[in-house]
Amino acid sequence: MAKKPSPVGLTLFVYQVGFGDCFLLQFQYPAPHPTRHVLVDLGSTASPKNAGEKLLLRVAKDVRARCGGKLDAVVATHRHEDHIGGFATNRTGTAPGDVIASCKPDLVIQPWTEDPAAARDALKPTQTLAAGLAHIAGLRAMQGFASSAVEEARRQTQVGSAVPGRRTFLEDVEFQGLDAIKNESAVKNLARMGRRAGAKAAYVHFGSKSGLEPLLPGVKIQVLGPPTLEQTDIIRRQRERDEAEYWHLQPGGAPAAGSAAELRGPAGRQEIPERHQWIVRQALSVRAETLYQLVRALDNAMNNTSVILLFTVKGRTLLFPGDAQIENWSYALAKPEVRKKLAKVHLYKVGHHGSLNATPKSMWNLFQHRGPKGAARLTSILSTLGDKHGDSLSGTEVPRTTLKKELDAHSELLSTQDMRSKTALVKPIVLDLTAAKWTPESLKIHDAQPLLE
Amino acid sequence: MPQPTHPRSRSLTIVAQDPSVLGADGDVLLSRVDLPGEPLLDGPSGHRVQIVDFDATKALYYPPTKASAEDLYAARAGSELIRERDFHAQNVYAIVMSVVSRFEFALGRRAGWAFPSHQIQAMPHAFADANAFYSRRDHGLFFGYFSSADRKSTVYSCLSHDVIAHETTHALLDGLRPRYTDPSSPDQAAFHEGFSDIVAILSVFSLKDVVRRVLSAKLPAPRGADMVERISKRELTPEKLAALSLLCLAEQMGKEMGIARGGALRASATLAPSKSWLSSREFSQPHRRGEVLVAAVLHAFLLVWRRRIIGLGGSETDSVSLDRVVEEGAAAAARLLSTAIRALDYSPPVDLQFGDFLSAMLTGEGEVLPDDRGFSYRSELLRAFREYGIEPTARGRHALSEGAWSRAPRSLQYAGTHFESLQRDPDEVFRFLWQNRDDLGLEDEAFTKVQSVRPCVRVGEDGFVLRETVAEYVQHLEIRADDLSKFGVRKPAGIGADQQVELFGGGCLIFDEFGRLKYHISKKLLGDRHNARLRYLAESGHFAKGFKPRQGLAPRTFASLHRRRALDLRTQAREAW
Repeated sequence: MAKKPSPVGLTLFVYQVGFGDCFLLQFQYPAPHPTRHVLVDLGSTASPKNAGEKLLLRVAKDVRARCGGKLDAVVATHRHEDHIGGFATNRTGTAPGDVIASCKPDLVIQPWTEDPAAARDALKPTQTLAAGLAHIAGLRAMQGFASSAVEEARRQTQVGSAVPGRRTFLEDVEFQGLDAIKNESAVKNLARMGRRAGAKAAYVHFGSKSGLEPLLPGVKIQVLGPPTLEQTDIIRRQRERDEAEYWHLQPGGAPAAGSAAELRGPAGRQEIPERHQWIVRQALSVRAETLYQLVRALDNAMNNTSVILLFTVKGRTLLFPGDAQIENWSYALAKPEVRKKLAKVHLYKVGHHGSLNATPKSMWNLFQHRGPKGAARLTSILSTLGDKHGDSLSGTEVPRTTLKKELDAHSELLSTQDMRSKTALVKPIVLDLTAAKWTPESLKIHDAQPLLE
Repeated sequence: MPQPTHPRSRSLTIVAQDPSVLGADGDVLLSRVDLPGEPLLDGPSGHRVQIVDFDATKALYYPPTKASAEDLYAARAGSELIRERDFHAQNVYAIVMSVVSRFEFALGRRAGWAFPSHQIQAMPHAFADANAFYSRRDHGLFFGYFSSADRKSTVYSCLSHDVIAHETTHALLDGLRPRYTDPSSPDQAAFHEGFSDIVAILSVFSLKDVVRRVLSAKLPAPRGADMVERISKRELTPEKLAALSLLCLAEQMGKEMGIARGGALRASATLAPSKSWLSSREFSQPHRRGEVLVAAVLHAFLLVWRRRIIGLGGSETDSVSLDRVVEEGAAAAARLLSTAIRALDYSPPVDLQFGDFLSAMLTGEGEVLPDDRGFSYRSELLRAFREYGIEPTARGRHALSEGAWSRAPRSLQYAGTHFESLQRDPDEVFRFLWQNRDDLGLEDEAFTKVQSVRPCVRVGEDGFVLRETVAEYVQHLEIRADDLSKFGVRKPAGIGADQQVELFGGGCLIFDEFGRLKYHISKKLLGDRHNARLRYLAESGHFAKGFKPRQGLAPRTFASLHRRRALDLRTQAREAW
């Protein structure tokens, strides 16, 4: 039997999608072996200035052109609009998701929390997913919660109340809530692509097989997250208490229809007597803040379902953690063998658009290739857009200034925010894999290029 | 002589625990509480609490319940009452007032709120959320409602006795010790939750109906009898008492409200004694740490209950009537509740440690009931706390009993101090402090303020009357982190040289009925404790930029605290940027 081929080159295409993620990995093999393509995420919740109409559609077409109409695999790290929105389809078959589906990926990778088999048949779990049911039930309820929170935030905005900060909270609820729910079509398309005859769907968790190895000979892929419920301490202890308690959000925003109306007594009204006006105003402000906190908790929980992939090819190590935050990371970080591998990372896709808690300090400090300017050092890729999330007053701005400073100081930072051209919206990073070992010269960041049709 | 227009006292129907706890007749178990009478406005609205039925989720206001001198629900079935909006309002009013009354009885004076109003606002159906909380900024108690786990019914937190008692306690504790919500130490962060749980569970336990119901449901009835009437003393070891009543009650408390409460009472009731809990990582998180404090108090409760049963006389093998067992349990719970509440007066106003609270309980008990021979409350408290690794802070020789605070020095100057005004005037108390600042160990560099002066009359179980005046003062110093070393405090790693750091100190002064200082329970402004405190604050993210609330408003601490507790979220500030 012929020896398995190994890649001789790897090009990573970084797309400027504004607030979102989209990466295309292109593995080149010696002839006659075909080039292989893996797409990691396609989504955006805010477009960059001047990017023009239908950005995601144009990006999808560029992906199709570069992979020659055939994707080997699609990775959807987690169910947020800014990561999977571009997988949505439309009736006329002209949406970005239709373009991607036409590339017939052989493998669709998603976190185990998205497994539709377990979700459909929640009472009879498959063995591997037994532990995840509370979580999955939680995830589905979370979608429900997010939509009722958005609905309530919109309604509350109509009710006048001059308490400071209230409106900001409500706006944030809408922005973040929509991120969690505006993607039904994308979710369906991802499942459909995975069900296509000849294709496979992999719902992965820490330590499970990604299914990528047969498609990418000579490349090692490790799944470092998300952990299953049984794998995480914190969640295991929670389960000992009560499964239904876990997400807390589950019954929150969506009480049984008409429940409070079940109570006997006079009907509610909108006029409020003088002596109660102050406290009513306070209650509305309390509610806005509570909704905001709940939606934040939901956002964190969803980010923590992110697939974390570590690619190793010919001694080069690339890390794609989606939006994983510390709670997702902590299981992997506690393992000495994982820490050893993480130490060698050469290219890091910065977690969660550079938010304050998605690049755990204890992980960042592991990276051996961090170094000052001029040295052979780590490359980091930040896909983000400022002024969309959080604020610098409270230290929650995305990207977080202190993190960006650190990335800039100790790695070769490529930020999509710096890709300001109206037309050149994709930047290739070329890794030469012909040499046996990694050298600084073997990685080149090229100028941004226009999108292909 | 003019007659008062309202009764001197009022007895009101309440849900005894929550709607899942049924009586022998299979209906929701009800109870009655006796409250001091007061004229009511619609709401009900009284001089301490006003019920406002506004639903923020729906943005709808429900007209207030008509005030009535009578208990309109005395003859009604529980299953009907829990579906009536007006009854919900009465339930909240009655339970809030009963907790306020318990505080006032134990303290021997009125208990005020932490916000500038005499009346707290309570919203029985504030929003659709599995949460209930007290908010100082909003002068209110907010009770949410949510779907049950099976989604078939709605759970109203305003029908849960322990939830109402818990939230009311947060408000009262905040009124007495406003600095306990300050960032300080793991113990202080845990204390608010732990103390509120203690008051909640002991106030439910002091309702005889509940204890009787719980016990008789657990005990096998003799053949032919509907209900157990007598019970063998051998059945009543602390372990068995725990299994028969406490665990069962904690279980029930978690049943309906588990989603909002995270099963904390159950966790406390089942936490076996161990000296190593407090140093373990698991119990370093504030919302878990409080469980250890609750467990220690509950353990003491069982030990005392057992003593009271033995005290009923007869031999070890005799049986005793169930009614007496119930009465002894309720009495022990009520007494410990008073002890715990009164202890707040003997606790330092800043940087509370669990050991301080133990010393405060022992001191307060000793003052009101100097003779501990009866049921040995003090020695059982000391024993129970020690089994959970909590040692009393007080080690002095000049104390009434082991673990209690030492008496104040006799060398203090009283010349020029006016006894009359010392009982109510903060300026007079400040003058006393000024005069004795060296003896009392005050820091000259700091800003000093007397927060309150409160005269009180405490009545012991045996009718013993004790008159005291309680005053608290706080010392405050704000300096640059780099200047800490001048004051002998180490700057913790990870905070900048220009970071402003606040140091607090302070004490409470207990004057006797002749205006002499009996106790000075203080935390000096400077000292080693700040090393640990600042390290803890740095690690838990206090100095991170994001910690400051928006627009400089006071944070709504308890709303998020309860959510963190229910979700068991951990602080990971060290990992963030």
